[in-house]
Amino acid sequence: MASYYPEPENIWQSIEYSSLGTSIAESLWAFPTLETIHVIALVTVFGTIAVMDLRMLGVASTNTPITQMSKDTLPWTWAGFILAAITGSLLFVSKASSYMINPYFLWKLGLLATAGLNMLYFHFVTYKTVDQWDSAAVVPSGVKMAAVISLVLWIGVVFCGRAIGFTLGIYY
Amino acid sequence: MGDFFFGITEWLRETWLLDAAFWMQETAISKVLVENFWGVPFAQVAHIISIAVAFGATLMLTLRVNGKVATNLTIQQVEARYVRWIWWTLVAIVISGLLMLFAEPVRNMINSIFWAKMLALLAMVIVSLMFQRSVLAQANAAGPGWTASGGTKAISWIVIILWCLTMAGGRWIAYSPV
Repeated sequence: MASYYPEPENIWQSIEYSSLGTSIAESLWAFPTLETIHVIALVTVFGTIAVMDLRMLGVASTNTPITQMSKDTLPWTWAGFILAAITGSLLFVSKASSYMINPYFLWKLGLLATAGLNMLYFHFVTYKTVDQWDSAAVVPSGVKMAAVISLVLWIGVVFCGRAIGFTLGIYY
Repeated sequence: MGDFFFGITEWLRETWLLDAAFWMQETAISKVLVENFWGVPFAQVAHIISIAVAFGATLMLTLRVNGKVATNLTIQQVEARYVRWIWWTLVAIVISGLLMLFAEPVRNMINSIFWAKMLALLAMVIVSLMFQRSVLAQANAAGPGWTASGGTKAISWIVIILWCLTMAGGRWIAYSPV
């Protein structure tokens, strides 16, 4: 079958013009369906992270130990994140070269990486002393700082995600 | 399916909703949102974050009713934590949604998917209210050892499905033929 796509000039175009990329781009339903699952997954990630962060800030759920809250929310956060990553990757494949030139997409990746580092630092450094503040209504400032940074970064991720949709065609 | 929704959109075009949408388009708030590039994206960000907080709270309540989380807390304690967050963020969802509606009234009002979303939202609100009240009443009557029946657990997941349908409707508005 004849290909209607030009010869790829870089890796991003190779991805975009792959059979997977063109199938998603040409389908009437694939892109909106993937976007829908992506949004539901992202909302699950942000929603469960917000529950945990509000506990860490001492704003809500102060009758629940932080370790318990982490155990309750984390499986859902990870499930949502994995689903968002899979659907996000498939969305990316369909328009790879447009995404890679879009600053909001690059910012979104940077914010996601920073949120990951913040989570790693919290779990491997701050969390070591959790026995001392697990059930405390008022937690150490380092814990609150991790929660504030997390919320700010994830709001940034949502903003960039929406900004991509409004700016995808304007960068060349 | 596509023809069905397209047919409804064609019918909507013949109703008073079109004149209402034209009127909304001329309001000051609509013009402010249209003339500022970031107006609609910011309203959408507020909308998504509000949905996330409400959905996260709903999910936690659902999981508690199913005995999967916070089993050390009573249903009364769990409802006290999450229910007000659900309803206050629903207020934020409605306000940010109205901003998006006023920014693009014709695209939304003359759109069958938009009204399907509104129906899903209405169903979600009604079922959520009934569910939350019923769970609280059952827990109050039975005491701290209360566990949800199979029917109550099923309704808790119906609330989650209605949230997902509402979100799906929100995304598909952009792809509906207008």
